[in-house]
Amino acid sequence: MKLLKTHELGLSRNGSWLFRNLNLQIPGGSLVAILGPSGVGKSSLLSCLSGSEKQTEGKIEFEEKSNIIRTPQNISPELGIIFQSLRLTEHVTVLENVLYGRIAQYGVKESILGFPKEDREIAYQILQDLGIDHLAHKWTSQTSGGEKQRTAIARTLFQNPQIILADEPVSNLDTYYSGRVMGLLRNLASQDGKIILTALHDPQLISRFADFALSLNPEHPEGWNLREINPGVRI
Amino acid sequence: MKENKSTSLPKLPVRKWHEKLNFLNILIIIFLFLTIFSGKNLIQENRSADVMAGIDYFLKKFFPPDFSDFNLILESLGETFQIAIVSTFIAVNLSLIISLAASRNISPIWLVQITRMFLNITRTLPSLIWAFLFVIFFGPTPIAGVFALTFYSLGYLGKFFSEIFESMDIKVARGLKLIGASPVQAFLYGLWPNVKAQVWSQSLWMLEYNIRSASIIGLVGAGGIGMELNKAMEMASGFQRVTAILICILVIVIILDLLGQAIRRWITQKISPRSISD
Repeated sequence: MKLLKTHELGLSRNGSWLFRNLNLQIPGGSLVAILGPSGVGKSSLLSCLSGSEKQTEGKIEFEEKSNIIRTPQNISPELGIIFQSLRLTEHVTVLENVLYGRIAQYGVKESILGFPKEDREIAYQILQDLGIDHLAHKWTSQTSGGEKQRTAIARTLFQNPQIILADEPVSNLDTYYSGRVMGLLRNLASQDGKIILTALHDPQLISRFADFALSLNPEHPEGWNLREINPGVRI
Repeated sequence: MKENKSTSLPKLPVRKWHEKLNFLNILIIIFLFLTIFSGKNLIQENRSADVMAGIDYFLKKFFPPDFSDFNLILESLGETFQIAIVSTFIAVNLSLIISLAASRNISPIWLVQITRMFLNITRTLPSLIWAFLFVIFFGPTPIAGVFALTFYSLGYLGKFFSEIFESMDIKVARGLKLIGASPVQAFLYGLWPNVKAQVWSQSLWMLEYNIRSASIIGLVGAGGIGMELNKAMEMASGFQRVTAILICILVIVIILDLLGQAIRRWITQKISPRSISD
């Protein structure tokens, strides 16, 4: 059973704690929505979990089925991140940005000769699922904010990692595509047993797609709360 | 409302005299003073020359141009091109590596400072001085020219490229590293695509510059058309040949400038495509 664990996790910035004594055990197949007002530390928590920001105290561990315990630093190919700032390479095509999702699997050969045809077809299929297949060969810099967000999501879906950390992945999307993207993430958790943590604001999306809601408390860093949402009711 | 205005307006704080000083205006005044002072020193009665006599001498001695050795001029121009192309190619490749070390957002500060000091030194010496130094090492050969222009270009390209890298969002490359990219892949996929058009544009500018420089460095024996120019100037009857060589250089430089401008305009359009609001 896959498990993402945090033990006494805490992050302090400029002398004040964003969150502290955070103890989580998130099993595979779960979609956790991280809630809280702006500036509470949702993105910072995701940064800590991704290894891009070092926590002030505590531990983060990913336990695989064979009792192999890994930290965010040595789990990178199995960690998919949808950044709030998207972090796409602007001057390449949308399709290439999606292919970069499996960059850890590629070597020098692909850098010179291009990406495998089979992978290109899989990436294109994902673009179709997200309704941006017509942009496949267009430069990313020439696409809109919403299209870029869907490209970033497509990159993570193509990567197919065990853990997905998504920082407000639907903030630029309309109701239809917000639901569609959250539905895809929900399926990845339910069908493939992936662990998904996402910062979300929309209460409807949270109640419709999340298993758990983790609320961070701006007044009390230790006053975080994890609650189960609608047990047993899933789309 | 009227009463409010007259009674409750906050008192505007008065600035001190030194706060009123505008640094830019002071600089302009200093510059004007220096220009007047320098001009006065340069134009002196006893140092003035007979300009009209000079022009007359020039027209009689340098015209009509002597194109009798046109093939030799073309051959030397070819060598000038080769010096410029090879030195620019080497300089671009070396500068790409050096500029990574000189970028604050990529390398540690101690490495940035050492690299920038090296780039400053290479930039301080003019190409003619570099050529003079390498002619001492290699003798009067085109290789001396290649080395001279390579070193000279390193200083400029290293600075330009590091500024390009510093203006880029390094988070894209860092994001790729977080999902497993090696440092080389993070550079190739996260940084290079966003900078390559600007790198090409600057490299092209350097090539144009080096073609002009390669025409001059021959004056100290570093190969190219400059050597022919030097030979012609040393000959008592070579002034008309000098004019022919200068015309050839001028034509080539104008053509290259126009070509370079067109290509760089195309590149600039490519790196700043139309924006679409969501």
